[in-house]
Amino acid sequence: MNADMPPRWAEQMLHMLLPPQDRQTVSGDLLEEYRESIFPARGRRGADLWYLGQVMGFAWRGNEIWAALLGGAFVARTAMDWLLPTTDFHARSAVSTIGSAGIFLSAGYLAAWRTASVRAGTFAGVVTALLGAAVSIVGVTLLLAVWHDAPTFAAIEGSGGLAEVFTLPVMVVVPGAFLATVGGLFGGALRRLRHNP
Amino acid sequence: MSDVLGTFEQAVLLAVLRLADGAYGRAILNEVQARLERNVAAGAVHATLVRLEEKGLLLSELGPGTEVRAGRPRRYYRVARSGVQALNDARAAAQTLWRGFKWPLKGRT
Repeated sequence: MNADMPPRWAEQMLHMLLPPQDRQTVSGDLLEEYRESIFPARGRRGADLWYLGQVMGFAWRGNEIWAALLGGAFVARTAMDWLLPTTDFHARSAVSTIGSAGIFLSAGYLAAWRTASVRAGTFAGVVTALLGAAVSIVGVTLLLAVWHDAPTFAAIEGSGGLAEVFTLPVMVVVPGAFLATVGGLFGGALRRLRHNP
Repeated sequence: MSDVLGTFEQAVLLAVLRLADGAYGRAILNEVQARLERNVAAGAVHATLVRLEEKGLLLSELGPGTEVRAGRPRRYYRVARSGVQALNDARAAAQTLWRGFKWPLKGRT
C-alpha cells in the first residue's frame, strides 16, 4: 500500500455509493486531490478525515430524501401521540411500521438499482436509519421545546415515555439495514435482468 | 426557452466552459470553489454533472489515467450546444429581472 492512500474501507464505501461507470473516475478525482493537495497540507490524519467527509457527502446525497422521510415520519407519529393521545396504538403502529418498512425497502432498492450492488442497498439502509434518527431527535427536541405542559407529559408517559422517543429511531438501524438489503436484492436482480436479459 | 438553470448549475457549466479541454471532475471542483469562494463537496459537483449530462446540457468522454490517480481514468466534460443556450437563457432571465434597478441596491430603513 502507498503511504499517501486514503483508508481502503473508505474507498470501498465510496465505490458502494457510485454507479459502476463513475467508480474509477470519481475515486480517481478524489485520490488526485488527496495526494496532490490535501495530504501535503494536512498530513495523514487530516487528509483521511477530509476523504471521509467527501464520502459522507456522497452518502448524504444518495439518501437525503429517505432520511428526511423517515425522520419526518417519526416526528409526525410522536406529535400525534403527544397531541392527540389515545390508548389504542394498533392503527398508528401499523401505519408507522409499514411506512418505515416501505422507506427502507425503497432506499435499498434504488441504491442497488443505481449502483448495481446489493451491498449498496444495505449501506443505504444504515445511512438512512442514522440520518433519519438525527432528523427525528432534532425534531422531537423541538416538539418538546414547544409543548412541555403537564397534559403533554401525561401523553408522553402514556405512549411509551421520553426514552423510547429518543432511542427508537436509533434502534431501527439493524432492521432497517435488513429491509434495505431485501430491497437491494430486488433492485440488483431487476437491474441485472434489464441489462442482461 | 429551456429550463432556467440554478446558480450552482451555472457555476458548474461555466467552469466546464472556462477549463475547455481540461474540464474533468477535480479541475471542475476546484474551479467552482474558486469562483464561489467557498468549499464545495465533491459529491455536490458530481451530482450536478450527472444531472446536467442527463438533461443533455453536458457531454462527457473518458480520458487516460495518471500515476497520481493510480491509473484511474478521468471523465472529461464539454458543454453541449443546448448547454450554451441554457446559459444564455439564464443570463437573459437575470438581466430581465434586474432591469430598472441600479446595482448595488441601497437598503431601505
